[in-house]
Amino acid sequence: MAGDPAVQFVAVDKWYGSFQVLRGIDLSVGRGERIVICGPSGSGKSTLIRCINGLERHGAGRILVNGTEITGQSRTIHALRQDVGMVFQHFNLFPHLTVIGNCTLALTKSRKIGGKEARDIAMHYLARVRIPEQADKYPAQLSGGQQQRVAIARALCLNPKIMLFDEPTSALDPEMIREVLDVMVSLAQDGMTMLCVTHEMGFAKTVADRVVFMDQGLIVEQAPPEDFFANPREERSRHFLRQLLN
Amino acid sequence: MQFDTAYALETVPIILQAAGTTIGVAVASCFGAALLGFAWEILRRSGRIMSYVMRFVIDCIRSTPVLAQIYFIYFVLPYYGIRLPALLVGILCLSFYYSGYLAEVFRAGIDMIHHGQMEAAKALGLSRRHTIAFIIAPQMLRNIAAPLGNYFVSILKATPYLAVIAVPEMLGSALDIAAETFRYAEPLFVSAVIFLGLAFVISQLVAQMERRLMASHRR
Ligand SMILES: Nc1ncnc2c1ncn2[C@@H]1O[C@H](COP(=O)(O)OP(=O)(O)O)[C@@H](O)[C@H]1O
Ligand SMILES: [Mg+2]
Repeated sequence: MAGDPAVQFVAVDKWYGSFQVLRGIDLSVGRGERIVICGPSGSGKSTLIRCINGLERHGAGRILVNGTEITGQSRTIHALRQDVGMVFQHFNLFPHLTVIGNCTLALTKSRKIGGKEARDIAMHYLARVRIPEQADKYPAQLSGGQQQRVAIARALCLNPKIMLFDEPTSALDPEMIREVLDVMVSLAQDGMTMLCVTHEMGFAKTVADRVVFMDQGLIVEQAPPEDFFANPREERSRHFLRQLLN
Repeated sequence: MQFDTAYALETVPIILQAAGTTIGVAVASCFGAALLGFAWEILRRSGRIMSYVMRFVIDCIRSTPVLAQIYFIYFVLPYYGIRLPALLVGILCLSFYYSGYLAEVFRAGIDMIHHGQMEAAKALGLSRRHTIAFIIAPQMLRNIAAPLGNYFVSILKATPYLAVIAVPEMLGSALDIAAETFRYAEPLFVSAVIFLGLAFVISQLVAQMERRLMASHRR
């Protein structure tokens, strides 16, 4: 168990009807490793990470999280989600709950933690993402960057072992991207296992152990960021990077 | 025939007494219809087969006259040895009939909720039950407060149907008074005013609920 990779994909395929989104994905992510996944739109990046917490079911192949295989059983999916936190492009905060309400809901309902203790946990992580003073506001009263930091705090409250990020800064105005990336960098420095779908090259260079480049449902290339950005091996990667820089 | 104000005032206490029954039946039926309707809609969303079955059930409930349902339940249930007080039968009937309409309203309210809300709830490990109670229901209510209020008023206005199974509701008692004195205008007028007042109270309560639920949207 302790030696198992945090996440392991073995020959994973997935179809939407007759359209194959994932093609023979093999990927192993060690504990504490930081992976950045990039690639053109529609290449299957979201689908890949959404398979890790069971938001999507894979077709063929095996996916293991902390050594446990993901099967269709709701019990294993439920157990899996205890260990995996997720941050979405559009935040997906609960608009009818305050910031603190968003953070404590799963703690009090699923984990049966008392209100006072749950609040303390939530305040701890809100301080961590540097917005404890917004605790009693509603999401609509916050800026995009603040909302995304709340979403990160909400996921962290459940003390996940693995964090998934699906283009966390793509929906943000440019001046708010920094504050979200700073939080993610500090999370990485604390040793969290992270899989981030992002095109933020600066972030990838700073924290990623490895960059995984996808195209048309395939992992085309994976390499440490310094190699990937300086000397991409595949023509498709070079093409993608050229487009990204323009 | 002159409108006799003194006589109208005389009928007020008797009609008000019946208004108590009307309010009780209406409030209980609003709750009953909302709970049943929500249950239908959640069942409808619980699987492919259930979606067809519940679609059919909901359509059946809505497509038969409420009077037919009232007579049916009142006269047919005893045949199977189930004897219920008229008041309870009345509440059951109105709850059942309007549950079909409220299920439709709830469907629209749930459809309006962003898909990402359910995904976030799943990713946080919330159970289906908790997601329904704490994520879907509150956002749904906020989306449909106005049509829900309209149906609550409709339920209130449907209570006179229960006169056919001898529930002592307001309109029936007004007509009883009228039948004794042969003066229709005054008791009917009094009961109309009370209906109007009750409908006003309902719409105010719903507006207040909507304001509370919308609080989170103010910046
Ligand atoms: N629910 C779905 N049904 C059918 N096709 C889908 C669905 N979700 C995604 N796809 C398709 O799968 C492909 C990969 O999608 P996605 O994983 O979202 O890509 P990315 O995140 O890399 O942009 C796209 O072509 C998309 O249109
Ligand atoms: Mg995507």
